[in-house]
Amino acid sequence: MANTALKTFNIENDIVELSPQDDIYKFDHEADKKIDRESPWSKDPHYFKSCRISAVALIKMVVHARSGVPYEIMGMLQGKVVGTSLVILDSFALPVQGTETRVNAGTEASEYMVTYFQDSQRAGRPENLVGWYHSHPGYGCWLSGIDVTTQMNNQKHTDPFVAVVVDPNRTMTAGKVDIGAFRTYPENYTPPNAASSEYQSIPLSKIEDFGVHANQYYPLEVEIFKSSLETQLLDLLWNKYWVNTLSQSPLISNRAYAVSQLADLNQKLSKVQSSVAGTKASLPVPAKDSKDGKQKESLKEDTKKKENELAKSVKDSIKIAAEAQHGLIAQVVKDVIFSIRPGSGLQADTSQIVESMNIG
Amino acid sequence: MNAMDTDHEEVSAVLPSTTTSGLSIALHPLPILNISEHFIRLKLQKQTPLPFTLGALLGTQNGREVEIVNTFELVLEDDDEAINHAFLVNRRDQYKQVFPSLEFIGWYTVAPIPTSRHIRLHSQIVQFTGYCSTPLLLILQPTTNLLGSADGTSQNLPFKAYEQTIEIKDRSSRSVFVEASFNVETGEAERIAVDWTAKGGGSGTSLESHLQTQRAAVKMLYDRILVLIQYVTGVIAGTIGSLKLVLTPTFQVLIYLLPAEVPTDHGILRSISALLASLPASENKTFREEFNTESEDVQLTALLASLTKSTNILNDLVDKHALLTTSREDRYGGGVARRTRLQMGGARLGGDWH
Repeated sequence: MANTALKTFNIENDIVELSPQDDIYKFDHEADKKIDRESPWSKDPHYFKSCRISAVALIKMVVHARSGVPYEIMGMLQGKVVGTSLVILDSFALPVQGTETRVNAGTEASEYMVTYFQDSQRAGRPENLVGWYHSHPGYGCWLSGIDVTTQMNNQKHTDPFVAVVVDPNRTMTAGKVDIGAFRTYPENYTPPNAASSEYQSIPLSKIEDFGVHANQYYPLEVEIFKSSLETQLLDLLWNKYWVNTLSQSPLISNRAYAVSQLADLNQKLSKVQSSVAGTKASLPVPAKDSKDGKQKESLKEDTKKKENELAKSVKDSIKIAAEAQHGLIAQVVKDVIFSIRPGSGLQADTSQIVESMNIG
Repeated sequence: MNAMDTDHEEVSAVLPSTTTSGLSIALHPLPILNISEHFIRLKLQKQTPLPFTLGALLGTQNGREVEIVNTFELVLEDDDEAINHAFLVNRRDQYKQVFPSLEFIGWYTVAPIPTSRHIRLHSQIVQFTGYCSTPLLLILQPTTNLLGSADGTSQNLPFKAYEQTIEIKDRSSRSVFVEASFNVETGEAERIAVDWTAKGGGSGTSLESHLQTQRAAVKMLYDRILVLIQYVTGVIAGTIGSLKLVLTPTFQVLIYLLPAEVPTDHGILRSISALLASLPASENKTFREEFNTESEDVQLTALLASLTKSTNILNDLVDKHALLTTSREDRYGGGVARRTRLQMGGARLGGDWH
């Protein structure tokens, strides 16, 4: 009862409420200074567990990354620290483009960064710089050797800082945003257990770089948040762009990327071809067999590496095929809806499809 | 129309809706979300329900076609009356460095309707930016119409776009705003990002999410078609009255509930029949060939994947077999020599079966 009365009151008085989920947008100077003084992250390398990114920051990053393909682009992130989570409220692009992001973004970019940051403060965005982002077009979300060095530097001098990587090509093929947030360990710190992360298919040219540095950083869990007004707007937006969902075809827009993936798979397979003759199976080690057990264990580890080459190629090829199938599914759906002549033999099938959609 | 204006105390800054601008505006989701975020932020900082929000629009303009792609905030001075031009130029140049194709094409604010205050700000922009001949005004209307959509009929976004024009009346001219309609366009990456955040950024298997997106889009199409069917059956039955439909070529149906009866709109019926006549959408030989080639390519990759998988399994099997054979001989003191022989030719296993 009281609820409806409140709602009527709001409607009559044109009040737009702020829901609690919007509180995250508030910037509290005091709290920020306090946590900066305490800096709990300097004591615990594993302090930050998650990274919350606002919808606006995410979309800006994706659009920027997409516009820069095939080059890598980079930019800065603004936000704050909340508990063990780094909250990112906004992102802005830097005029740096290149084959490899350098350890120190050149003087021009630094100037840009400082001016932009100061201007933001005046324009009503008081948050500090808490991270940087860059794109890996087509080769996944991880930190390369140079990235690791840059980030370790950043964390030494301007902590709290997070490194975010976005892959615009994978985003397009997978239909969801490929993004990762990372923090490096300080030098001379060995992580307790190198947690095995989700397997990512990485092109041959980069795979060494990935492997060498994989233990020097750890991923943060990525969450997206949005304000109540944004949620409403997004619902309304859906009413407008559902047409685009049907009309855009990932197969066509990603042709170049798909071709490069196949070429890469080809290279991997030819590499495997030479070594496959030398693979050995591993024996399931019986528990009691102690003398033979040691020998066989070392054998097992040895062969595991070689075996995995071919197995990895299998995973890569399955991934490529699956993504291509997604694109084809979209095309077939459109074909069925729009290209069936009334009265043809396929009519029965379509009416079945329509009925089953009706239920859902 | 004009007579009514002089009766009011405050002269309306907007021309009545019978006049519309000739611009065709494409609005991306990013500016929409940017503006709402800016608004919420200011609301929190200043603790007022309607803070004065001001920002610039970036995009491209090709003749009468305008595309609004991005936005940034602006700083006001003189008690919210004048725009800080230095700030505007700086920011715009910064964005130019990163996105060279984007131009300054207008400004945005948050208000129920444009007023004379907006006209004054607008004239500041016009006189200042030599590059932008006709800056646009985009307004976010922060009313509670957002809440509660009536039985799932499509609601309009609470945005309105205006173009400036001169109204000549009683031999004096004054600038007014005239409303312009806009469409929502997205780039593919943008659409995916927007879609993903709308779903909360979770992750299922990619097949699941892909199918879900497709299904949602198709369901929308289906709902719209149902509405059309309802309309047509109503016309046939002669009971159509209180629905007025506007059917745009891109299948976006805007539904207005009118209090009085309206006659059957032959325009609507004509568009519906034109739409039906255009199905099947593409029965063209070249199209069919392309389509088939594409699906063949996709199936080839699937074949490749399964071939690779079978090769791997076969290799595994061969290795395990080799190991079994070796270890059996090993137990009887086979020796290192046999093992190395087997190492060199897994494929020549047949020869080692003694």
